[in-house]
Amino acid sequence: MTPSPLRPAHRGSSLAALLAFAAAVILLAIFPSFVKKPYVLHMGVMLFLAVIQGQAWNVIGGYTGQYSVGHSAFFGIGAYATMMLLEVNKIPPWWGIWAAMASAMILSLIIGSITFRLRGPYFVLASISVAEIIRLAALHFKGFTRGAEGFLLSSIPPLHLFGTEIEFFTKRSFYYVGLLLAVVTIAANWAVQHSKLGYYFQAIREDQDAAHSLGINLSFYKNVALAISAAFTAAAGGFFAMFVKFIDPNIAFGLDVSVQIVLICIVGGIGTIIGPVLGAMVLVPLSEILRNPRGLVQVGVLSADSGVVRFIETYLSNAHLLVFGILVVVVILFAPEGVLGVIRRIVGRSRRRRTAPDAAASPA
Amino acid sequence: MTVFLQSMLSGLLVGGVYALIGVGLTIIFGVMRVINFAHGDLLMLGMYATWFIFTKSGLDPYVALLATAPLLFLWGAFLQKVFINRVLNALPQNQILLTIGLGLIMSNSMMLLFTSDYRILTTTYSSSSFDVGGLSVSQPLLYSFLITAAITGALFWFLSRTDTGQAIRATAQDREAAQLMGINVRWTSILAFGIGSALSGAAGTLIAPTYYIYPQVGSAFTLKAFVIVVLGGMGSIVGATLGGLIIGVTESLAAIYVASGLKELVVFVLFLALLLFRPSGLLGKSRA
Repeated sequence: MTPSPLRPAHRGSSLAALLAFAAAVILLAIFPSFVKKPYVLHMGVMLFLAVIQGQAWNVIGGYTGQYSVGHSAFFGIGAYATMMLLEVNKIPPWWGIWAAMASAMILSLIIGSITFRLRGPYFVLASISVAEIIRLAALHFKGFTRGAEGFLLSSIPPLHLFGTEIEFFTKRSFYYVGLLLAVVTIAANWAVQHSKLGYYFQAIREDQDAAHSLGINLSFYKNVALAISAAFTAAAGGFFAMFVKFIDPNIAFGLDVSVQIVLICIVGGIGTIIGPVLGAMVLVPLSEILRNPRGLVQVGVLSADSGVVRFIETYLSNAHLLVFGILVVVVILFAPEGVLGVIRRIVGRSRRRRTAPDAAASPA
Repeated sequence: MTVFLQSMLSGLLVGGVYALIGVGLTIIFGVMRVINFAHGDLLMLGMYATWFIFTKSGLDPYVALLATAPLLFLWGAFLQKVFINRVLNALPQNQILLTIGLGLIMSNSMMLLFTSDYRILTTTYSSSSFDVGGLSVSQPLLYSFLITAAITGALFWFLSRTDTGQAIRATAQDREAAQLMGINVRWTSILAFGIGSALSGAAGTLIAPTYYIYPQVGSAFTLKAFVIVVLGGMGSIVGATLGGLIIGVTESLAAIYVASGLKELVVFVLFLALLLFRPSGLLGKSRA
């Protein structure tokens, strides 16, 4: 397998990066106190969701190099488990989500044992097949999953925490839960990347056979990576189900979901921590604006009779998948390392120009 | 027993068209080692082209085939020259993502142009059937099976008796050796993708009278095409033909004997089993 051009992760993390991250989190946390428009908070939640999905996929796809295009299996399991436990068994989602994560991890062990002996494109095909099998089964076994009717959320009970009652009617509570989940996922990713586990994963990505010859148990570590990835993807699924309040097999297990998860990492910069964040920042606003250009008017960015809004409404309504497709093609052809790669190239070029002219020429 | 025979027969007839899709995909993979995720969307384009020609001019789909197949050939050649050619040496995962992106572009452009409404193409014989010894043979399916057989025969002849065809097979066997023999592999790649697309578009034309036509119809066929190609052996045309027939029959029998809603699931389970136990398929040469 051709080695990828990615640089290995730094062992330590710079203090500057940590401080920047903390500052960003604090800013995001106080943001809803100033901006109350529900549409903006909605965008924030979708952004956090995309970040969680991207970070989770990165563990198996970016670090370990196993491109799973069937992650909707875990996302859907998380969504359905949380939803069904709440609707059928009246278990609130803050407990239900743990069950969702656990079931996803069990599923990942099953899937891993089946698919990990396949390499490269065959693994991609197998992962897609597994997700499709689960989707078709969910559609067919109506007694259990209500089939194509799906589940409609009635209401989320309020959460009593530290003496206060947190309700889940407004978007604000979801915003904070989303932020919390995103921070936890990023922290978990960072922990993995800077641990021995992370090194094993990257060794597997770079050259499976070499890693094996060094004594790394391939199937064990691949399964660990998939389990971690599955757990966080399922958490995202459960959160999604509670937020959008309706799921059916196509929304939860569809191939679209799997492709979008992969896109977040590819567009942003695969195998890095900030990559999925960048990818989310590109893809989510794009898809939300195309789905609902009036939203831009609501938040006051554009005026109500702006030509842009009208153009999008007439020609590009629901064309976000088209734009995603174009984005994928452009990224793969011209920037396979994503937005992060482009940024690195620009920064690298400006740095080189600042060094002395008689310094040794660096490779292009 | 009649149910079984009827089911086998329908399965074989549909399997013929599946074989066409599979053969196209296997040629593309054989020559370029690219896993074309947009294959079903090429079929979808063939369906829409046929529907468009039919609604504008009333031309019978099986005649329109003479127009849609070359059209899809040119489109496939264009895709190869402009997009696929640049990633021939990239990671296979990136190749897959590129074709996924192209597929998304194709299906969503059609959605914007024609909306997601289901279209149907009904000819005078769309629902008629022949009675053969107590079994019902669907007329449109029979015609498409015969045309498929003719196309496959022509393809066989092209690949084994003409210089260009042998050049394509040589490129599939060993790209570098073919180059050393003086074969312009860039041309054969373009030809291969063009032929693959033309076959997929032809399949779309042939099934247009019997299927709903909508922009997302491609993805189901892409996945099925992969099952067929893996079953037959990546790169083997005879294998893909056999694979198509087998999958057609399997699907048909599963609909009767397992459950109608689970027939696609059975195909996917078969796919997983294949990938695990015999990834080189029936007739494939096992390559990494």
